Amino acid sequence: MTLRSALLSLAVLALPLLQACTLEPVQPWDRDLLAEDKMQLVPDPVENFIDEHIYFSKEGASGGQGIGGGGCGCN
Amino acid sequence: MQLNDKASIRRALAAATCTLLGSASQASHAEGSDEKWRVDTSVLYYSEQDRVTVVEPVVFLRKATGEDSFINFRLIYDTMSGASANGATATNTAQTFTSPSGTSTYTTPANQTPLHKFTDQRIALAVEWDKPYDRLSRTIYGINASTENDYRSIGASATRLRDYNDKLTTLTLGFSGSYENVMPIGGAPVPMQLMSTIVAPPPGGGGEDDGGGESGKTKLVADAIVGITQVLTRRTLTQLNYSLGYSTGYLTDPYKVVSVVDTTGATVDYRFESRPDTRLRQSLYWKTAYHFDHDVVHFSYRYFWDDWGIRAHTVDLHYRMELWKGIYLQPHMRYGTQSAASFYTHSLLDTGPLPAYASADYRLGELTTTSYGLKLGIPVGRSSEINLRVESITQSGNGHPADAIGIQQNYDLFPTINSTVAQITYTGRF
Amino acid sequence: MTLHRRAGYWEGTFEAMASPCSVLAEVDSAAEARRLLNLARAEALRIEATFSRYRQDNILHRINTSTGQPIEVDDETALLLDYAAQCHDLSQGRFDITSGILRRVWHFDGSDRIPSAEAVAALLPWIGWEKVAWRRPHITLPAGMEIDLGGIGKEYAVGRSALLLEAETRASLLINFGGDLFSTGARADGRGWRVGLDDPTATGNASAGEIEIRRGGVATSGDARRYLLKDGIRYGHILDPRTGWPVPGAPRSVTVVADTCLEAGMLATFAMLMGHDAEKFLVDQQVTHHIIRG
Repeated sequence: MTLRSALLSLAVLALPLLQACTLEPVQPWDRDLLAEDKMQLVPDPVENFIDEHIYFSKEGASGGQGIGGGGCGCN
Repeated sequence: MQLNDKASIRRALAAATCTLLGSASQASHAEGSDEKWRVDTSVLYYSEQDRVTVVEPVVFLRKATGEDSFINFRLIYDTMSGASANGATATNTAQTFTSPSGTSTYTTPANQTPLHKFTDQRIALAVEWDKPYDRLSRTIYGINASTENDYRSIGASATRLRDYNDKLTTLTLGFSGSYENVMPIGGAPVPMQLMSTIVAPPPGGGGEDDGGGESGKTKLVADAIVGITQVLTRRTLTQLNYSLGYSTGYLTDPYKVVSVVDTTGATVDYRFESRPDTRLRQSLYWKTAYHFDHDVVHFSYRYFWDDWGIRAHTVDLHYRMELWKGIYLQPHMRYGTQSAASFYTHSLLDTGPLPAYASADYRLGELTTTSYGLKLGIPVGRSSEINLRVESITQSGNGHPADAIGIQQNYDLFPTINSTVAQITYTGRF
Repeated sequence: MTLHRRAGYWEGTFEAMASPCSVLAEVDSAAEARRLLNLARAEALRIEATFSRYRQDNILHRINTSTGQPIEVDDETALLLDYAAQCHDLSQGRFDITSGILRRVWHFDGSDRIPSAEAVAALLPWIGWEKVAWRRPHITLPAGMEIDLGGIGKEYAVGRSALLLEAETRASLLINFGGDLFSTGARADGRGWRVGLDDPTATGNASAGEIEIRRGGVATSGDARRYLLKDGIRYGHILDPRTGWPVPGAPRSVTVVADTCLEAGMLATFAMLMGHDAEKFLVDQQVTHHIIRG
């Protein structure tokens, strides 16, 4: 996958954000969907933690989502 | 307000109703958030084809300690066994490797990528306190510690989150630091030391084989993150983070070597690898969650760069498909590419100038990681869940680089690594 | 008061606010169901006693017989008056709790006896929320005016009962006071409660359809049994307080599904008050609705 096709996929997947161009503030009574567990930015903390650990030990790049997860001797 | 503004009447009426019934807070209770405990217990099974296998049970515990305060515990136990590539390349003869202390050796048959066998056990513990600081902000303090056969760490972190715009915008600022100690089994090598210069100690005396004492090496790591989380629409949430990290100390992998070859490409010796003793890392991370009528998609992109020359792009996509009565299926795709560190090399020549740093660890090389996975979630009881997931991870690089010399051209200098992940998790809320 | 076991839930019924009321609770024990039923019934009767215009011993009576003097009201009454005031604003005056005195000339008994224009006009000076001085916690009603909370009483009672019962149980409940109802959440099998819609154009109790509701309120505004018919013209019982006459082109029945019963009820009332434009109004508000004309 070249950088160009990566950026293209990025643009396509960012389409839902275009809906937000009007940026009218979301009223408190309209935040029902946002309150759902599956809409949290990290919906599954265990899976996220384990994946971060797996990729930290397999790649040169790491992090980005948060800090302070703790170290390991695997890299 | 006019009766003919679209939908504004309904919104105003909803607000008026909330005021009358005072039910705004009641509604959230009805969603089940007055449960005090959340427990996630999980077992991970990770296996690299012909290489490492890891079994890792994990327990996460979250308890509400007050109206809006929480305490989180994490306990992780890892058992790892198998073998991982030691950085040397396959060649046409059997290969023998010695530990820096000279007390242990291992061999690899001809025509096989050398692997270093190991077993390890790791325990890691973390605690976090998450509480409001004032009406609009909260802080999360954490401490963590871990221990393995050859490694120990202790660290702490602090994060502040502050809401703006009626809680539609959140700014995050966090710092963390850790102190790490490496006690390599077989001793810590002298950087770039030729393996042929290692002398086996006389019987009955000589070097420690457990890397204790003065060969224990330390490492300090500090990280900072600043981020903004924004509610864009009723269905869309997005986050952008910038992270900065600095590591200093012993950053080299004491078990890894670089093959030294002559002009025919035959391996004549090995040098223990050497990495710089500082590293500055930065990343930009962007994530968006979007709620369809029932399904939810999570998409993220990370750009990582550091002063070792690594540049990496990572794209990640989860699509949660609601099937029926809370049962869901979630396919996952992740794609990452990374450029090699400036000192990465698949081998060194036996003549010519010696670089200051060199590593043949494939994880610092030009690498592409592709993962595909599927997760199945099944609700249990009122608000608990069991889920199972499997993932297949493939890492590949250029096994036949243009600068391969002589007989090296007959070998795959960057073998593809296939791994499988299987994980089962129970999430209970009560 | 009755309590019966149905398939998977308990059904309790009682009479309050001149309507059949029921509480459906997806609990296992009869004792639990009885406890919840008692709570709902007590709250419904309390609200009826406090705000009914038929009683002489409550705050409403004191306000309506105040002959122009300021009356200090408690917090609950204040919240209801605030709500009524906001609905008056939102509907540009079509919703008005001072319009109750029109019942002196309009009797919706299915006959053809409509009042004279003069009789209606004579009442107009004593109708109009803008004439009321409401400054929390004091309300001053000019002598001769009256307020009537009948338009929101039942929906309010449903909302209040739901709050009380939700604090007692996490089981799924359906609270139904005379057709204004609220469901607290999906049932254990993930489905909602099935609710039948009334069809006033049909003879008997033929149903106009069914909806399934997980969490939310349903309310119906309609003239199923209250109307006048003269010279082929139907006069629905929803009166426009600005004219004293029924809203022209009002549907026979409007049912709205919304997040709460109060919201559903008020939206249904607003729609009726919009007459010919009832459909457009509800479509614009993006709520699930069912309108019957006939």
